[in-house]
Amino acid sequence: MTGAYGALFVGALLLFLILVWLRANLAQRDDLSNHQALLSHECENLEACPQEFVSRIFEAEDLKFISRFESPHLQNFFRRERNAVALLWVQETTTAIRGIMHQHLETSRRSKDLHVATEAKIFAQYAQLRFLCGILFVSIGLVGPQKLRGVALYAQELTQQLGHAQLELDSAQ
Amino acid sequence: MSASVKLVPVQDAYDDLLRRTLSKIPCNLGRLIYLASTRDYNSGAYHHEGLAARFHEDAARKALEVAHRQVFHLVAAISLEDLVSELDVYLKSSHESPEEVVRTWQKLEPYRIAVPTEVNPTIARLFISNLRLALAILRFRQEPNPSRP
Repeated sequence: MTGAYGALFVGALLLFLILVWLRANLAQRDDLSNHQALLSHECENLEACPQEFVSRIFEAEDLKFISRFESPHLQNFFRRERNAVALLWVQETTTAIRGIMHQHLETSRRSKDLHVATEAKIFAQYAQLRFLCGILFVSIGLVGPQKLRGVALYAQELTQQLGHAQLELDSAQ
Repeated sequence: MSASVKLVPVQDAYDDLLRRTLSKIPCNLGRLIYLASTRDYNSGAYHHEGLAARFHEDAARKALEVAHRQVFHLVAAISLEDLVSELDVYLKSSHESPEEVVRTWQKLEPYRIAVPTEVNPTIARLFISNLRLALAILRFRQEPNPSRP
């Protein structure tokens, strides 16, 4: 009986979290879908977002500034806007790593001398990045970008590493 | 050889633009709006009569494009607090009623045209988002509220 109540409680908690997440992301997703077409269209010519901007998007300085006004309207407006920018960056990063992997598969297909260790390392980095992007996509609406700065900067660094590794492999061909 | 010959007039035109025009504008946001206004809405090409007369038309166009991109990145990278200060300075130098300008900018979002072409979409979105927020903060400050000092 206790087990059934426990399962019910976990189920209700999960449902509650999903509802909170859906509500928090609804507005941003509308905004995001507008940019999605642009991202996929301009994927090849996309200028990478420099680290200083990633840091700016995810840092707490602006939130502290807006909190000084003690206006719930301004604070909500800030959260909506900053979440939308952070989600767009996650989407852009996902598009970029997909592009890198696509190029890598092309390079590997042409290669006559594949190194299993290198391939495994690149695939592990790719899987880790996709996982991190998934975590960020879900968490931004729940906890806000300010608490995810470390994860975002790590994901950005990893994306750069993956890009460089692919460029090196490509030039070695 | 030909690349270095071409680069020198662009650098000269850029320095001239900085010295004669941009240095006289009191804030980076004002410089950004000015530079965006030298771009044709239809073709996206930059044009500055004086700069084109002093240098080659292509050099002037390239100098404007480079300056636009640089100033845009400067403004997009600043904190919200600094952007509010920039906007405040810009509004005071515009010779229009600041309240009226804030209302118009909130409605029409004319600053969207200040985004250079081929800029990273996240940076462009951050810039637009921060300007929306800065305008909301200025509007909040302008509204009379007896509970606020």
